[in-house]
Amino acid sequence: MKKYEAVVDRFLRYSGLVAFFVLWEAAPRLGWADPQFLPPLSAVLQSIYWLAVDGELYSHLIVSLWRALVGLMLAALVALPLGFILGARCPETARHLDPLFRLLSQVNPFSLAPVFMLCFGIGEISKLMTIALVALWPILFHTITGVRMVDPLLVKTARSLTVTRGVMVSEVLLPGAFPTIISGFRVATQMTVFMLIAAEMLGAAAGLGWLVHNSAMLSQIPRMYAGGAFIILLGIIINQILLKVERESMFWRECPGPVTDEVVRSLSGKTRSLYVAAFACAFAFVLICGSQEVRRVNIQGLHSDKTASHQHNHGGLVGPLRSD
Amino acid sequence: MRILRKLLTEKTAILAFVLLWEVVTRLGLVNQIFIPPFSKVVAAMWFLIQNGYLVKHTLISLERALGGFLLAAVIAIPLGLLMGGWFRRIQLVLNPLFEIAAQANPFILFHIVILFLGIGELAKVSIIAWICIWPILFNTAAGVRNVDSVLLRAAQSFGLNRRQLFFKVILPASAPAIFTGLRVSAGYSFFLLIAAEMMGSSSGLGWLILYSQENYNIQWIFAGATMIAILGLTMDTILQIIERRTVVWENGATDALR
Repeated sequence: MKKYEAVVDRFLRYSGLVAFFVLWEAAPRLGWADPQFLPPLSAVLQSIYWLAVDGELYSHLIVSLWRALVGLMLAALVALPLGFILGARCPETARHLDPLFRLLSQVNPFSLAPVFMLCFGIGEISKLMTIALVALWPILFHTITGVRMVDPLLVKTARSLTVTRGVMVSEVLLPGAFPTIISGFRVATQMTVFMLIAAEMLGAAAGLGWLVHNSAMLSQIPRMYAGGAFIILLGIIINQILLKVERESMFWRECPGPVTDEVVRSLSGKTRSLYVAAFACAFAFVLICGSQEVRRVNIQGLHSDKTASHQHNHGGLVGPLRSD
Repeated sequence: MRILRKLLTEKTAILAFVLLWEVVTRLGLVNQIFIPPFSKVVAAMWFLIQNGYLVKHTLISLERALGGFLLAAVIAIPLGLLMGGWFRRIQLVLNPLFEIAAQANPFILFHIVILFLGIGELAKVSIIAWICIWPILFNTAAGVRNVDSVLLRAAQSFGLNRRQLFFKVILPASAPAIFTGLRVSAGYSFFLLIAAEMMGSSSGLGWLILYSQENYNIQWIFAGATMIAILGLTMDTILQIIERRTVVWENGATDALR
């Protein structure tokens, strides 16, 4: 009986998605929606296929991932130490700074785009800064809150055991605040993916945001939907990974029942080290391949700009109208 | 006088920041073309107030942001209550769809929204509503799901009927989570105003910023951005006050977490 219910649940879990995709395919074909505006799913899949065959998709995907990841890392590099210092060492200062931080967090860096351009140019740095500035605030807020909400009993116990400050941070404060910090990261990723697209409008030569905007400008609607689909996919994957990390990191806090095999297994750490290794590999891959791809794309972009202006000089009126 | 003193002690950081901004730019440590001194931003704001621009655009933006936000709240809170509560099966069906929809980015979405709704007022309000729905929805559903089961069982053993159970136990117990969602959404609605007003508008603060961007009028950009930040902060404060007034039994736990 229980097995039957599990099957039904599994079926239901995917039925919504399947129905959505069927509707997407059917609506334009049956004329319920204008296929010009809403191309059927198959057309979008086809354009994804072409993008993949070209190798264009890989390039856009890795470039966007690299930007998101490096932006997040920059933000974390500032926000985590700052959050720990403010939360643990000087909560009074944190309380005073809170209104200022809240005000600053309301400033959308996209609206200050020209300032970023003037300061950092239209290269990678201005995009990374835009992303990092957005991701900074949620991580900072959540780190401060997380550190402050660590069970005082734990802190006092650790202190009465006369642990050093380093041990206190790494063994008590960090695990205690970790779930909150991770949920901060989740909010930050959401914002990062939002702003990534905005940042790639600031004169990018590649990336998923650029893909969507370029397609929209050229009225290649299926290609635009394909880019949008991949941005959504990117957001979901990052979110799911962080959710998984969040759930894993709570293991010591929630042990409602007696200690079962599962709890012991989750404590044993063997699977965890496997996960960590996998994450590290993926991380390294994105960082290395991404940076190479970004460099390649930027150099190429520079090149094509030059040739475009060249054409413009020699070809008279025809040059700028020609698209390549 | 007391209010002034309270302001001085509570907002010291903001005052210090403004002072630092003014001094750094005046001393020429930062190029004034890139970052104008605060006084010039204030002067630009004053100029915009005097010729009526700022008030006009602020009101229009406020209407759009609030309209979208309220629309989202009206849709998302009942839906979240239903999803978190009785219809577990429906939630199973809808949750993956909502997860996908929540990731749909306003800066992409506006291309698609333009295709279907044009560039009218409806398109702008609906894009803000779309952004605002998801935090409210997810937080409400989570709030209902995480209602303390001891409370529920106690209420049941007192013989409350379903309606009473909902209004006396479930709704109050999930209120803090709902407010968290509302505050996140309110933040988004002003933060992403610029995305909504990129769609062929000719008014609103987001448009004012875009227009100033195109003309490289840095002072106006800062004036517009400051105005949006102030509005967002005000909205957050108002929601916080409402929360404190209505959710009296839960002190501050959700306040810190945002």
